[in-house]
Amino acid sequence: MDINPKRPLDARTFRAKLEGQSGKQYWRSLEELADTPEFREFLFDEVPQHTRSFDIQGMDRRRFLTLAGASLALAGLSGCRWLPAKKVVPAAEQSEDRVISIANIYATSVIEHGLATGVWVTSNEGRPTRIEGNPEHPASLGSNSSTVQATLLDLYDPDRSQTVSNLGSISNWPAFLETMRSALAETKDGTGLRILTETVTSPTLTHQIKALLAKYPGAKWHQYEPCGRDNVVNGAKAAFGQPVNTLYDFSKADRILSLDADFLLSMPGHIRYSRDFAVKRRVRSEEISAEQPKKLEMSRFYMVESCPSITGTMADHRLPLRASQVEALARAVAGALGVDAGAAALPAGVPQPWFDAMIADLKTANGASIVLTGDHQPPAVHVLCHAINAALGNVGKTVNYTDPVESQPVDQLASLRQLVDDHKIDGAVKILLILGGNPVYNAPVDLEFGHLLDTTRLTAHLSMHEDETSARCQWHLPEAHALEAWSDARAYDGTLSIVQPLIAPLYEGAHSTLELVSALTGPMPNSYDLVYDYWTAQKPAPDFEKWWQKSLHDGVIKNSAFPTKAFPLNPAAAKATVTPAIDDKGLELLLLPDPTVRDGRFANNGWMQELPKPLTKLTWDNAALMSQATAEKLGLAPSIGGLTVADEKVVEFVIGGRKLKIPVLALPGHPDDAVTIHLGYGRTHVGKIGTGTGFNGYLLCTTAAPYFAGGMKATNTGDTYPLAHTRSHHSMEGRDILMEGTLAEFLLHPEFAKTEATTTPEIPVDDKQIEPAESGKGKRLSLYDAQDHEYKTDENAFAYSWGLSIDNNVCIGCNACVTACQNENNIPIVGKDQVQRGREMHWIRIDRYYRGPISNPHTFFEPVTCMHCENAPCEPVCPVAATVHSMEGLNQMVYNRCVGTRYCSNNCPYKVRRFNFYKYTAGQPDPDKLNGNNDSLVLQLLSNPDVTVRGRGVMEKCSYCVQRINHARTTAKKEGRAIKDGEVVTACQQSCPTQAIVFGDIADKTTLVSKLKALPTDYTMLGELNTRPRTSYLARLRNPNPNIEADVKNGPDTPVVE
Amino acid sequence: MAQIFHHSANIAMRVSIVGAGLLTAGLIAAGVGISRSPWNTKVGIPKDQPVPFSHEHHAVELGVDCRYCHTNVEKAAWVQLPPTQTCYTCHSQIWTNSPLLEPVRTSYSEKLPIKGGWNQLNAVPDFVYFNHSIHVNRGVNCNTCHGPIQKEMLAYKGKAFFMSWCLNCHRNPENFVNPGGAKHVFSLYEKYQTDVPLTPEESTIANGNDYQRNKAELARGEQTLKEYKVQTKQLTDCSVCHH
Repeated sequence: MDINPKRPLDARTFRAKLEGQSGKQYWRSLEELADTPEFREFLFDEVPQHTRSFDIQGMDRRRFLTLAGASLALAGLSGCRWLPAKKVVPAAEQSEDRVISIANIYATSVIEHGLATGVWVTSNEGRPTRIEGNPEHPASLGSNSSTVQATLLDLYDPDRSQTVSNLGSISNWPAFLETMRSALAETKDGTGLRILTETVTSPTLTHQIKALLAKYPGAKWHQYEPCGRDNVVNGAKAAFGQPVNTLYDFSKADRILSLDADFLLSMPGHIRYSRDFAVKRRVRSEEISAEQPKKLEMSRFYMVESCPSITGTMADHRLPLRASQVEALARAVAGALGVDAGAAALPAGVPQPWFDAMIADLKTANGASIVLTGDHQPPAVHVLCHAINAALGNVGKTVNYTDPVESQPVDQLASLRQLVDDHKIDGAVKILLILGGNPVYNAPVDLEFGHLLDTTRLTAHLSMHEDETSARCQWHLPEAHALEAWSDARAYDGTLSIVQPLIAPLYEGAHSTLELVSALTGPMPNSYDLVYDYWTAQKPAPDFEKWWQKSLHDGVIKNSAFPTKAFPLNPAAAKATVTPAIDDKGLELLLLPDPTVRDGRFANNGWMQELPKPLTKLTWDNAALMSQATAEKLGLAPSIGGLTVADEKVVEFVIGGRKLKIPVLALPGHPDDAVTIHLGYGRTHVGKIGTGTGFNGYLLCTTAAPYFAGGMKATNTGDTYPLAHTRSHHSMEGRDILMEGTLAEFLLHPEFAKTEATTTPEIPVDDKQIEPAESGKGKRLSLYDAQDHEYKTDENAFAYSWGLSIDNNVCIGCNACVTACQNENNIPIVGKDQVQRGREMHWIRIDRYYRGPISNPHTFFEPVTCMHCENAPCEPVCPVAATVHSMEGLNQMVYNRCVGTRYCSNNCPYKVRRFNFYKYTAGQPDPDKLNGNNDSLVLQLLSNPDVTVRGRGVMEKCSYCVQRINHARTTAKKEGRAIKDGEVVTACQQSCPTQAIVFGDIADKTTLVSKLKALPTDYTMLGELNTRPRTSYLARLRNPNPNIEADVKNGPDTPVVE
Repeated sequence: MAQIFHHSANIAMRVSIVGAGLLTAGLIAAGVGISRSPWNTKVGIPKDQPVPFSHEHHAVELGVDCRYCHTNVEKAAWVQLPPTQTCYTCHSQIWTNSPLLEPVRTSYSEKLPIKGGWNQLNAVPDFVYFNHSIHVNRGVNCNTCHGPIQKEMLAYKGKAFFMSWCLNCHRNPENFVNPGGAKHVFSLYEKYQTDVPLTPEESTIANGNDYQRNKAELARGEQTLKEYKVQTKQLTDCSVCHH
């Protein structure tokens, strides 16, 4: 394939395309929208760019035959092998509840930014193999996020540090503790000892730190985390005079205005918020279940955002606005609602009619609305939101206040600055103990944190990896993973849970923060004793032991959430708190945590690196995101380039004398004249996976402007950089595969999603091809022979027909299902190079579609699994019958039969089949980079024992988690009953925060999935092909304000700003 | 021009054509023979074990129930091999000085597995998911797959575990299932130990041989399948064993 990388894509091309269209047209990438010849050519390649790795075109006949013959012979031979002699090694003593082949499940919590998310961890023979949500925990309700699940891979990361090291040479804990204790003894009262932690909510750790500070009154405790909640804390202090925790109840909110708050992916409690948000978005023309009653209303959601986020895609009305303009809008909203907030003009880009209609709409909600803002917005915006919610009467209804969940809620940036300043002024810092975190990498650059470490007498860093901070500290101490040590923590609403480990530390030298703090004042303790003793002293219940066991069993301490309190709002705060204007010349820079690797803590996590970012679909890198118009203005319009390997222009950004070279990516819906750079990349010391990926945005982060700043300049360096994205992979060539409409449309035509394209066409009765109607088959026109699947009949409850329903209306595109599937089904990562060739292995992908102008398009997600077609096109083309149908309607993939012709994949209209071009599970083709070389046996501990690990040359795809079906079937059979509805839960379904995915028996009309499939908005993708997919979708609905979007049928609802 | 080949070359050619055919057939037969022979399948060949454990002595002579050691055979996919603790329930009292039991004593005192581990006799490849519990719960006797295990001094593999052999039962389960599930399975050994006369079917199976049921017995098998609500056709779905 010859690609000309020089041709620019410009607005004229897009405008011409968009103007020429009638009705709804969806596009996934700018290339597709431009519909260039290169894109068309790209579509013909099933797995693009294979020619780059193997030049078959330049080969002569003789060599081709040689290779073909050799392949045939080797393929035959490689099929023969001896079964290796195996050993069975029973333990000397075995506890009764540990049975090999029966997994145990334990309740514990995963801690992110100090906050607990309750989880159930599956343990196979003592190995934690799967993290699922804990239904009893308020922050989870049984669901999960991709990062919570990815912490499991961190446990087995072969790059974890395993020993104590001192100045680069291996040492041990006694040596460190001796050094530390003697240094402490020298200080007498601890003067000069500074402890730096991340956010702490753990009561036991707080107790330990306070005990340490009591013993050494001269010592000080600092906290710092990047992308923290300083603005939230400071905003609450300004509004209420004290730090306050704000909780939102989206399940009661009819109108939502988000002023740049990504509450579905980034905010504390986002998993719970997603669940609650979906409650108000779901539309049901029938009662489905107790949780899903008949409901023909939706909430209306307005979103103003500075960088397109998954939350923004759910909005009924979305406006791109630069981060610095949000405060003016917030002030205008406050003013319009009668808050004394000072004068504010509506920022350019917010149309007055839009604003007026929105204000009127908010007023109608009558205490059932929410106005909220993001953690990166300055305190003034938070104050305004508190005042707005009070003015709207939301407080006590949809917006509740409690005491802060952090043990010591502080302005963390100020705390860190104080640490650095103290040392600068009089060298006050003598001993610096950094417990977790990575400040050398992620502290604002102007603090020169590394310099502090270089000039401090004794420095030590406890962390899971030997990272940037470890490299600058004298001592590095390996940290125990959360699944290896005891602890406790609070959730976003204050609910307490005990964190119990599932495995002893994989590396003997690893200890937790809790153990280390305690070891400073006494012998090295066991974390269990610390947590147990703390809670014994608290005496939370008369029957303590019973309470303790129950708390451990449930994974949550009952009734420990903070009670809702009324905090008096300072009426003058809204007017008094004003953020100084930023430099409005040049570009505006916005720094946000990355959607997958977050603030950099998942940089060495292969699952997170390869997870396509929800909107850019970028993997393994970050990029400077800007609007297409801004890119054109700067002469940086992205080239058409390769469609999987996008060679993007590398630009040097300069702000305040600080420079960063980074490739530019145009993102539809991004506000103009602004650039978003996601943090967490460009790490130098982390491990094989993360080192050298992406570009370090922290280099532009300063204490003055940790989140956004103005006055940035851009220069095109003339270089290009290849980015691996999946935005055009598995394209289905613009067929009508996404169904979407408004609530009004739905109420008029409930079956609007059942179009010609999504419905299997019926043929006239007199057509000769028709089979006798009584056979129950062949009544519909088909490309394929009607297959003889014996599906369940009403009289036999023990034959099942499995099917899946995906509710696009509540799919928020958060990727939790993708990681869940990767974990459950032993799906390998393949590396950047292979992603560039379109060879990523995810069994479930989330297609992202745009409709409307590129300046502010509507964005839709559609998760695509194997459809398990009843007339599966993949099956007849397999020469070795490696993919065949089961009695229960599963399209089975038999790995040990597959010879790798890939005909099935070619014939799959949904592009859901994945091929092992290499032995990816062993880290091929790049074991040094992908951590999968045979030395890293530790990664094999992660494997789910119920799923075959696939080798090279084998096709694979979504199996509907058949191992879970078999498990449920065996259990039910042994109990002499049929499988109950809801007993088989697929991994994707289990993790979904909005419960958009439902699996079950479609032959039984009383199951949840059958009821969902009977809804009028149900449609099948490419139904016209008569593949009869078992996976079907519920159409996406929007609920636009009729005063803003007058004509719901035609065209975009917002003006095109170009 | 003289002929290149003598007249007799015709015969040589015919012989070689037939010979080549026979040779090919012979080679294939030999290959199949080798692959099915105990040399390859290891059927009937005892393996050395760290402790020369005799099933015959424990199960028949002493009457220890199968489940005393294989505790989870009714509940779990993987049948448990006993931890050293289990050996010690008796061997803390008897044969306490036997040199043969030295590995057991060492294991118990050091709290480490028996040195070297047991050599596995029966194994399916990693891409096959076999579940003991569901087979036992459908009344399939241990001997059906494991041969005359209760009579073995040193255990050996009873069947070759070819896929066609698995399918033979999955296609015709009426020839193998028994009502009563696990109870049926273990009642056979109670009878065996107490010298209660066995039915012809039971004695054939207990001796490790295949039994073909007669019409009436097959009809009873069909009835049992109905009671168990077994979907016979579903049993041969690939994903029942491969996932």
